[in-house]
Amino acid sequence: MPRWAMVIDLDKCIGCQSCTAACRAENNVPFVGPEQAELGRAIFWNEVLFHIEGEFPHVKASIIPRPCFHCENPPCVKVCPVGATYRREEDGLVLQRYERCIGCRYCTVACPYGARYFRWYDGEWPDGVDRYQNPDVPLRPKGIVEKCTFCVHRLDEGLPIPACNQACPTGARFFGDLDDPASEVSQLARSPRASRLLEDLGTEPRVFYLKEGA
Amino acid sequence: MTKLTRRTFLKIAGAGTAAAALYQVAAKAPILRALSAEEQATAQDRQEVWRSTVCQQCQAGCGLLVRVVDGRAVKIEGNPLHPLNNGKICPKAQAGLQVLYDPDRIKGPMRRVGERGGGQWEPISWDEVIAQVVSRLTELRDDGQSHTAVFLTGRALGQMEELVARFCDAYGTPNHVTHNSISSSTTEIAHLLSQGQRSFFGYDWEQTNYLLSFGVSWLEAWRPTVRNAKAYGHMRRGRAHERLRMVQVDTRFSITAAKADEWVPIRPGTDGALALGIAYVIINEELYDEDFVAQHTLGFEDWTDEDGAQHMGFKTLVLRDYAPSQVEAITGVPAETVTRIAREFASTLPAVAIGDRGISMWSNGLFSQMAVHALNALVGSIDASGGVLTQKDAPFLPWPELAPDRIAQEGRAQSRIDRGGTRRYPLARDVYQQLPESIANDDPYPVNALFLYYTNPLFSSPQPGLFHEAFEKVPFIVSFSPFLDDSTTYADLILPDHTYLERLQDVVPPPGLGYPVVGLGQPVVAPLYDTRHTGDVLLEIVQALGEPVAQSFPWRNFAELVQYRISGLWRSEKGDITATEFEFFWEEFSRRSVWSDPSYRFGDWERVLNTPSGKFEFFSQTLRDELARVANGDLERLLDELGVQARGDEVYLPHYEPPETVGNQPEYPFFLNTYKLMAHAEGRGANSPHLQEMLGLHVNRKWDSWVEINPGVARALGIADDDWVWVESPIGEKIKVRAALYPGARPDVVCIPFELGHRAYGRWSENRGVNPNWLIANQTTGLTGALAPFATRVRIYKAE
Repeated sequence: MPRWAMVIDLDKCIGCQSCTAACRAENNVPFVGPEQAELGRAIFWNEVLFHIEGEFPHVKASIIPRPCFHCENPPCVKVCPVGATYRREEDGLVLQRYERCIGCRYCTVACPYGARYFRWYDGEWPDGVDRYQNPDVPLRPKGIVEKCTFCVHRLDEGLPIPACNQACPTGARFFGDLDDPASEVSQLARSPRASRLLEDLGTEPRVFYLKEGA
Repeated sequence: MTKLTRRTFLKIAGAGTAAAALYQVAAKAPILRALSAEEQATAQDRQEVWRSTVCQQCQAGCGLLVRVVDGRAVKIEGNPLHPLNNGKICPKAQAGLQVLYDPDRIKGPMRRVGERGGGQWEPISWDEVIAQVVSRLTELRDDGQSHTAVFLTGRALGQMEELVARFCDAYGTPNHVTHNSISSSTTEIAHLLSQGQRSFFGYDWEQTNYLLSFGVSWLEAWRPTVRNAKAYGHMRRGRAHERLRMVQVDTRFSITAAKADEWVPIRPGTDGALALGIAYVIINEELYDEDFVAQHTLGFEDWTDEDGAQHMGFKTLVLRDYAPSQVEAITGVPAETVTRIAREFASTLPAVAIGDRGISMWSNGLFSQMAVHALNALVGSIDASGGVLTQKDAPFLPWPELAPDRIAQEGRAQSRIDRGGTRRYPLARDVYQQLPESIANDDPYPVNALFLYYTNPLFSSPQPGLFHEAFEKVPFIVSFSPFLDDSTTYADLILPDHTYLERLQDVVPPPGLGYPVVGLGQPVVAPLYDTRHTGDVLLEIVQALGEPVAQSFPWRNFAELVQYRISGLWRSEKGDITATEFEFFWEEFSRRSVWSDPSYRFGDWERVLNTPSGKFEFFSQTLRDELARVANGDLERLLDELGVQARGDEVYLPHYEPPETVGNQPEYPFFLNTYKLMAHAEGRGANSPHLQEMLGLHVNRKWDSWVEINPGVARALGIADDDWVWVESPIGEKIKVRAALYPGARPDVVCIPFELGHRAYGRWSENRGVNPNWLIANQTTGLTGALAPFATRVRIYKAE
């Protein structure tokens, strides 16, 4: 079985959030509306983070898209008291059994990357808006935790490209099998530009970033 | 219609993830066979099909494939066959299904009952609503008042724009007014003056090594955006040779500035001076392309015209007035930075300089834009590999001859309601924002009927209150909008169009690739409601008006009209679809939803340099002639009236003059920059909840507006992040908005995105956020008839 991994080239990423929009459309991630968003309850399986530092005119910004990292050593799995979140043996994807989740949110605290989201509400699908729901992805009820699945429903159909990667206009995202040394992701993951976030935590993320700049 | 299964399509799309690889994949034949795979029932017995179309969330028209399951559109992906986006799409395109399934769409034709804007409507049948429009139009024509019907269009695409124009011509009104003058018309006029091209340009980005951008949101909002983004990925990492170097001159730290190698935070309105300072160094150090300048330009050196008159050359002017130290005093950009950028620009070839709305929609903007474009001429980037391309037109079949009757001819001969092309606005075609004044004063005549197609003046014009007053005076207002937007709310009749995923619409992308591309928007699902294609409705109206108007429209419906025009592509025997019969051509065209003719020959100077001299004109003879046309022999007075400060030859050369502002320091200490975001397209995305929820990436704001303020300045004013503040302008308007302390804001500039603040437009946009247009004075530049939206200064104070 493949060991799926993603590589994101920060030199190419322009923060357009096409990945975010594609992910929401693909995975039936609902919008939460202005009041809930204000409380920090908006859900982004793939969130683009923007960080600016310095003082005018010497400012610098970094833009980092953040899916779930599908860690080899996932802290979220260790803390789950009911075995709702688990690492799938055959390909190492970190997934969630929604029906088993009790919404304790240990995992959202344990994840050092903020990739897990608690569902405060069922989500709004008013007046026929539900017509664009993707029939391949289950809807989730409130009270559970959810996150990026690397578009497991696509992978299981034999389509080795998550929705975010397919949309990315600059071609900043790569996806493939880390066990195949000839694959693009394997090669890029070995490049001197590659690194992983908070590597010292030992989580062994399977999302690699290629650093910006010449 | 393209039919293929999800599995087949995604395998294709996944075959290469790099943009370049996809491009090659798209160019090969096997994908076509894959795309034509038969519709299949899935394991769950779902009826699933992928339909090709083009996006119409902005005017770029990227190719799309829409997944339709059991009659519901459930996902939008990019079409790998479309050369503009090669299978990639932006967040606006992804959010398209929220437009289609917007619960607050207009569900059928409606007639106002009760007060204008009171929100009371009653359903009316299509027959009846069309009869009412026809009756009004007939009445006006019979009274010799056809010219008092005004057709406002915004983002009308492909043949719709031309159909409206033809309708106005045949019916008898000169008043087809587009929104270009509040958008970016100055840029096109600058290109007209220097190259004889009244249009935007394409760019050969794949080969460009240096990009010098003056205020262009190149990666966020510069059409065609996905093409730019795709090129950016390629220029940074996708090619073996030189990595792009990119400099962003801008009054705010945009995403484009964040991704550039260098941000040059220039003083607002002074970009022309910086461009001329760069020209100074290039000329002074003899770094310019001597061959191009000698062979293909007019007015570089001092020269003598055919009448024996002496003229100052561009070189003389630049060396006289724009040394880096002089430029530093104007722009605030250090002289050494000017010099360094100039040397880089002239030595890192091919190099391209771009500018647009941000620098050109000022009182001095025409000259600023000319100055920026002059840099391309200096380094020989006009019509060169890695440089500026002149967009080739698609070979549409010409329209049949128009047969206006006497009434139509007389109507069209009346002066335009917006004064475009007159002594007041000599270089203008349309002056959208002039309408409120013209209507208020019945100048030159009252407006008796107003039609709105894809335009929303009560939201997108400066000082929308002025347009509101104008609406009050117009006795008959018709909107074709699918949405109850700010302006449609004030209409008398609504003839709702389909949304773009339900209708046929050809889309010619704005200049980008240089070579011609025509996309085809097609219905991916049946219309959800009792709406009708505005093209069909116009043709019905025309038929009901009868002869002689009807004889100029020999088509039963809009689809027939589009096929008529598209048949020219087939007849040209050019491009990537060839067929023995038009029927087969159309079949293939509608399967792919795109046709292109990917050939571009450099050095076609007659086409590219379409000026009176056949050269790139540093000295614009077109400007000289146009001013002479309306000057009545008194040029001095005309220039005074138009607000042009230069005199003599300088008028016709790229030069800098200080921009006019509305409001002065210290009363109004800040310039106001109203910019556009990737996730919204000029307010049109405000009814998409997904886009609302990912609105302000760089300031981490969602669902609401903000004003970006420099943190040091904010502290001095006692304003903390997220505080409510008032932003007030000299026209007596103020808006309350939350502060975003942003280190990328200049101390003398505050920024509010132009996206939110609708007073209608459905549950997700109504009364959400603020519309900065309420602060912006309706200040029009005489020479161009273009709005100067950045001229208005503001002050800010904490709201109690």
